[in-house]
Amino acid sequence: MFLKLNQIKKSFGTGENRVQVLKGIDLELEKGEFCVLLGPSGSGKSTLLNIIGGIDSADSGDIIVGSNKMADMKEKQLTKYRRSHLGYIFQRYNLISNLTVRENIEVGAYLSKNPLSVDDLLETLGLKEHQNKLPNQLSGGQQQRCSIGRALVKNPDILLCDEPTGALDSKTSIEILKLINEVNERYGNTIIMVTHNDGIKEMADRVIKLKDGMIRKNYTNEFRTPADMLDW
Amino acid sequence: MKNPLNKRVLREVRTDFGKYLVIFLTLLLFIGLISGFLVAADSLIYAYNESFDKYNVEDGHFAVQDKLNRTQIKKLEELGISIYDIPFTEERIDNGSEVRIFTNRDEVNKASIMKGKLPNKANEIAIDRMFADNNKLKVGDHITSDTHEYEIVGLVALSDYSALFKDNGDTMFDSVVFGVGVVDEATFAEYDKGNITYTYAWKYDKAPKDKKEESDVAEDLMVDINSMVALEDFVPRYANQSIQFTGDDFGGDRVMMQVLLYVIIVILAFIFTITINDTIVKEADVIGTLRASGYTKSEMIRHYMAPPVFITIVAAIIGNTMGYTIFKDFVADMYYKSYSLPTYATRWNVRAFVETTIIPVLIMVLVTYLSLSSKLKFTPLQFLRKDLTNNKNKKAVKLPKNLSIFGRFRLRVIIQNIGNYIVLFIGIIFANFLLMFGLMFPEILDDYQKKLPDNMMCQYQYIMEVPISAMDEDHKLNSMFEMINYQREIETDNEDAEKFTAYSLEAKGVEGVIDEEISIYGVKDDSKYVHQKIKPHEVYISSAYADKFMYKVGDTFTLYEEYGDEEYEFTINGIYDYPSGMVIFMRQQDVNDMFDLGKSYFSGYFSDTEITDIDSQYISSVIDKEALTKVSRQLNKSMGGMMVIMDGLSVFIFLVVIYLLSKMIIEKNAQSISMTKILGYSGFEISRLYIAATSIVTVIFLLVSLPMLQGIMIWLWETILRSQMHGWFYVFVSNKVLMKMFGLGISTYMVVAALEFIKIKRIPMDIALKNED
Repeated sequence: MFLKLNQIKKSFGTGENRVQVLKGIDLELEKGEFCVLLGPSGSGKSTLLNIIGGIDSADSGDIIVGSNKMADMKEKQLTKYRRSHLGYIFQRYNLISNLTVRENIEVGAYLSKNPLSVDDLLETLGLKEHQNKLPNQLSGGQQQRCSIGRALVKNPDILLCDEPTGALDSKTSIEILKLINEVNERYGNTIIMVTHNDGIKEMADRVIKLKDGMIRKNYTNEFRTPADMLDW
Repeated sequence: MKNPLNKRVLREVRTDFGKYLVIFLTLLLFIGLISGFLVAADSLIYAYNESFDKYNVEDGHFAVQDKLNRTQIKKLEELGISIYDIPFTEERIDNGSEVRIFTNRDEVNKASIMKGKLPNKANEIAIDRMFADNNKLKVGDHITSDTHEYEIVGLVALSDYSALFKDNGDTMFDSVVFGVGVVDEATFAEYDKGNITYTYAWKYDKAPKDKKEESDVAEDLMVDINSMVALEDFVPRYANQSIQFTGDDFGGDRVMMQVLLYVIIVILAFIFTITINDTIVKEADVIGTLRASGYTKSEMIRHYMAPPVFITIVAAIIGNTMGYTIFKDFVADMYYKSYSLPTYATRWNVRAFVETTIIPVLIMVLVTYLSLSSKLKFTPLQFLRKDLTNNKNKKAVKLPKNLSIFGRFRLRVIIQNIGNYIVLFIGIIFANFLLMFGLMFPEILDDYQKKLPDNMMCQYQYIMEVPISAMDEDHKLNSMFEMINYQREIETDNEDAEKFTAYSLEAKGVEGVIDEEISIYGVKDDSKYVHQKIKPHEVYISSAYADKFMYKVGDTFTLYEEYGDEEYEFTINGIYDYPSGMVIFMRQQDVNDMFDLGKSYFSGYFSDTEITDIDSQYISSVIDKEALTKVSRQLNKSMGGMMVIMDGLSVFIFLVVIYLLSKMIIEKNAQSISMTKILGYSGFEISRLYIAATSIVTVIFLLVSLPMLQGIMIWLWETILRSQMHGWFYVFVSNKVLMKMFGLGISTYMVVAALEFIKIKRIPMDIALKNED
């Protein structure tokens, strides 16, 4: 098993205001698996993603990635873990405004000892002709492609996507999802995508539905539906 | 692979070019100026020190009544010295100033030619360069004396006159009314022999090891020479103010200049950190993403430190280059206005490099690192959530309910920008400190000169001088006759003259106070010049002495002989209002007894009219208004330029600090300003909200800083006067200076406010629409 979560619990607030966001999550993912975390707002899906990504910590429970137990890691080790194993994609693209498309992707490449070819990636992402543009010269979809490129270029073991289509229209969203799918197939990264869009679940290997901090459903799709055939 | 984030550094600078340019120019100006100052000062002091060998400066000189013959010189040289003939005459020239004229010197005290050449024809003269500058004389001009019309063929610096003291006993030199010059042998031969002072310089065949030995050797030498020829004057080099003053006085302002630079760097570093903090808040989501992707905290710190450090390094490199070229000459000119120094060669100065390049960069690195380290301590998630506050429960500050919306709005702007305003306050304090320094100093000197007539005990204080020939122990009979003659010659018929005894002792080892020479005046019981009834054995000290040493009635202190082991204890019976000197007043009889001077002994006269019936050879020094104001005049002359620079710099700093900080406040609020525009507020109303907030704060800071600085400045000056300078004067900051400062502060701010008004007008409305936050 590549990623194993064991009884992950997380609460926010104190006293009467204390809210338990994750109430004991157990989850196992194989390498290269495409997993969609579904759930309404407040269900704990982003918190779970952040805990897997090492930018938030669980109150209790274990996360094991490969042979590393995250609970044992200090801040520096966590940074190293993120640097070596993780790629992040956010709803808001968070690109560096005064770096070009190419340079934004190079910011990701810098973190890896064996990065993917930036040129190949630009080609794959359909950004070759925009590589010298600044983010504010791009459409929302192009900016999200760029942020995918930045996350992907270091060839991470796990790609964490937090509502990557949340700020995009349906047509662009489908393009982005196709791209993520392609990435998954071509590079074999484990992908965990948080979304509240139920239509996306069909393209994943595994679907996990969260509600009130608990896994309500955890199943695998027999067939993965291509992104452009999703019922949006 | 190079960190691609580095590519942002130059772009960041380009994006906010105005701000970085102002900071860069400020750094450049200060680093350049101070580098120039250090380089010029060190090069000049090196040239000065080198001049002792290069121009073969005397080990001392003495004067005699008549020219020495060869046999006498040969005999004197058997004392282990080489003798050089340096006679002079003094002539008053057509502009009223006086020139001491020597012949060209080939062997000792040689001249450094600053411009033109040395005279080699009749009626040619080369005069001191500083004297020429002060009297607006140049090569090719003609000057006329009673005996000659001279053509100035050269401007020189005589190595034994780097400070133009006319008499060694003078408290200060005045290079406007007194200068030196050289003529050729033939011209010199034309002078009336009766007006020649036969002076001889000496050099030791074997140089004394140290100052103590030099002093002992000189004392022996004086006795030995006097046993062979009647001495009229004897001045070893270590006691010659014309030679030593420059070296002692030079570079005293170095520490001040360095502190000035470092304070500026710290202020700019704080401005940078505020800018960076704003950037970090603005880029929180990007930082969060990068940190989440694996960028370390130290990589982020290095990244955000790069622009200020880069700007500082570039400013330091260019500033140093300018220091060695443009500013060095500017500073050297200032020194040349104060001292008559020889030509100098610019020297590579490691210390200046460290102080103006390495240390400023280190300060910038340290301040920005500490600030960034604290600002970037948040977790990636906190950055992503833009949750960058330590206080989770931070609530809005409650404002008075009856305040208008405009008042509330302004207060919110002030509260929001409290960090910026703290730096603004520091900047105002610093700029006003410089401004106060620049404005108060000329006023203090002016006041000193104006009040001097009221502060003088009498118009003239004459100190008599016992001829060296009257102290020759090897020829006691001759000495006795000389002494009898002396005592007859120093009597005067002037009815204003009142005899007094003067003795001097050293105040040493008083904590926080520089060692000071204290004059002890023994005055007559019914003195008409010291208006204080002094009873037997009573001790009064001057108000200046009491202020400097912080003594009060009843205190006991000890004074010491300068060259001896004797010490004397005094208990203060009263303080006499005399602000012009460090003086103890006692009955004349008590002073004579205390120092075994004899019942009828006196040292000189107090008088309100000039004493004309005592030969000048018996008068050691005359302290009159002219002599007392020389110090303030010379200080005004040598430091006047510096004060103007201080004023200019302070206004500049003021402008820079207010401009940068108010610019940041406006930028930080660009979105809100844009929104208020959308809501329908006019440009004027928006300015009332944002500019008025800063205006209120600036006026409050100005008003608060002035009395604060007034106290600090007086304390600081008094501390410097106590610990670093001889003498004492009343330090004050007048209301006129305070008003000028306030006026300058407000005027400077108004310029910035006008710029900000334009800036606010230019903020487009779409900022509010585009931005999601």
